[in-house]
Amino acid sequence: MERPWPDEALDFEAGVRGALQRAGGVDLARRSEADPSVRAAVVKPILDELGIRDLDLGGGETEAAATALAVAAAGAFVCPWPLVQQLAVPATLRGEVGAVYLRDGVVRRAEHLDIVGRAAAVDIVTHEAQALRMLDGAGPFVSPMALDPFGVRCELSAESFELAALVPAHVVLAAFWTVGALGTARDLAVEHARDRQQFGRRIADFGAVQWHLSDIALAHDGLWELAGFSLARLIDQTLTVADTLALQYLMLESAQSVFIHAHQVLAAIGLCDEHDLTVLERHVQPLLRRPCGITRTLGLLAEEVARSGFDNLYPIPATMPAKDRGHRGGEMQLANDGGGLV
Amino acid sequence: MTFQDTPGVTGLRERIRSMIQSELTPDFLRAFVSSAEWQRQATAFCKRLAGERLLTFAWSEEYGGAGATKWEQTALREEFWSAHEPRGAQYMGVNWVGPVIMHFGTEAQKHKHLTEIAAGEEVWCQGFSEPEAGSDLASLQLSASREDDGSFRANGQKIWTSYAAFANWCFLAARTSRGSSKHQGITIFLVPMDRAGITVRPIEAMIGANHLNEVFFDDVVLHEDEVLGEVDRGWDVIDVVLKHERVGIARYARSDRILCDLWPAVQSASGPGSAELRSAHARELVHARVARLLSYRTLVTTENGDMPNQPSVARIGSTLLDQRVAEVAMEAAGPDAIDASEDAALGGWAEDAWRYSRSSTIASGTTEIQRLLASRAMVDQG
Repeated sequence: MERPWPDEALDFEAGVRGALQRAGGVDLARRSEADPSVRAAVVKPILDELGIRDLDLGGGETEAAATALAVAAAGAFVCPWPLVQQLAVPATLRGEVGAVYLRDGVVRRAEHLDIVGRAAAVDIVTHEAQALRMLDGAGPFVSPMALDPFGVRCELSAESFELAALVPAHVVLAAFWTVGALGTARDLAVEHARDRQQFGRRIADFGAVQWHLSDIALAHDGLWELAGFSLARLIDQTLTVADTLALQYLMLESAQSVFIHAHQVLAAIGLCDEHDLTVLERHVQPLLRRPCGITRTLGLLAEEVARSGFDNLYPIPATMPAKDRGHRGGEMQLANDGGGLV
Repeated sequence: MTFQDTPGVTGLRERIRSMIQSELTPDFLRAFVSSAEWQRQATAFCKRLAGERLLTFAWSEEYGGAGATKWEQTALREEFWSAHEPRGAQYMGVNWVGPVIMHFGTEAQKHKHLTEIAAGEEVWCQGFSEPEAGSDLASLQLSASREDDGSFRANGQKIWTSYAAFANWCFLAARTSRGSSKHQGITIFLVPMDRAGITVRPIEAMIGANHLNEVFFDDVVLHEDEVLGEVDRGWDVIDVVLKHERVGIARYARSDRILCDLWPAVQSASGPGSAELRSAHARELVHARVARLLSYRTLVTTENGDMPNQPSVARIGSTLLDQRVAEVAMEAAGPDAIDASEDAALGGWAEDAWRYSRSSTIASGTTEIQRLLASRAMVDQG
């Protein structure tokens, strides 16, 4: 139960955070939204200089930790680059697949698909993976205040892959990305509560605002802890399908909670696009809305608990033997021996 | 990084679970067993724990403990709380009375109380809340006025005092003077409950018969050597008490166990609403895991002295979980949920869990206070 982050990983995270901050922080997302070519011209060189895109989640404990923390640091600025989708692919496979997306049946749009090279989408239920093909005139289109600012229209092609094992990696990294963004939203709410004066005192002294701030802390901190727990299990190769769905569920729930409460604290100013809160919330939506929403995710989790149980202090037993659980019942991990997928 | 129990902690859990199974009757796991029987089982259980040096397992060897690691202590708290706290009222003596006496007590106080707590002989109640001093504890009014011979005379009332009817000692907060702030002038006394002038009146309550009492002090003599810490500096003691209290209960472990016990009913539910019930159960499984992780983080960061809002955040998570899980239990029990008889759905325990959960956001510091502390720490940190 001891879980200090490796110093090397923490140092790397600090380096990523500092570099992105110096490059403009959340403004990088604004600039890229106004001109999508900023991603390749400005963002990619920064990431390459840092070496983030070379990280491998399956490269051992320290590298996995550095990957997760770097993704969280990038998420803190909603860095306009598909790090989750790219780093979910083990380094040994990146020659074949540049990025992986999750789908729940059909797929119509994928963020940043125009800059990732060859990409595939894995179905979260069947685990069938197929290549994604951009449609003509697919985007991304510059549109004001979009909730899918880098979405690209696409469809599945006939080409298939064996990428089921990438689902948990994608979910774990998406959770770190999201919790990074939620941390910034929390900081913005706290700063505003501290600085904003109404009725002759700072609004942080009002009970209703304290209620919002504590709910933000609970949602953010809970996701941070579960993401770390899930990463440890991913590294140990003990992360189950139910664990993955639990993290996906909490990511959606926590994001809802943090943004709703942060908006209440910041009030009208938090709705303005010149404020970072709204950029954070809009840009994190693609990872929250695709492949499916909170109700669907919870339903999938409930089904999975019934099949394979849930490992809490008092565990829920599996009702179906592992050998009979079919495509969703097996444990899914990344191999960390450099051997690709298991 | 590891989130796994060590083999030693796993063995400890198995030992405690086996002991609970052999020492307690199944209906001990309910808040509404009769007071006398509940007390008899709790006392016997504490004696057995004491005999195996498990009652004060966390204490240093100097004070009769075994110097358990923080994770061993955590495992004990989880196992006890998930079994409805079989130490009964004695959990308070072990969790915070003893440690606070170690911190502030005289050698004589340490010798007397720590030895008896470790032997399972002392049952404590906490004389803090008053009719006009709940969350605002520093507004307490029960007075202890100094006599010429150096003793004090206590007059006033305490209320919501858990286990007062069973306790043989009271950890009493009294006002001994009026300082420039309400936090000044408070003194802590260690008072035997059989002292002349103390009257306990149990309060019937929906959370169980043992939990709430009024305690009246009419000209109760308090001796100078019963003062814990310094006269008029009792808030320093209370501050330490509250810190121990916040990490003293593994409330999430009880929710975790209820979710597990509920599973057969949830799994076999059919017809309208059954899918929603399974979803609600699954959601709380996630929240139970998160509440546990937040509590674990508090253990680590409290030691490091950073992240001052984390105990409150963890506590909010655990207490809200308690109430949501109780609602899932009631849903799972269906229309029989409000029937406490053993032949009702789930053996009638859903309503017991639900009633008890009503207190979780109130006892040991209300949710409002925890939210205030959490948000204040966030705002002041920046």
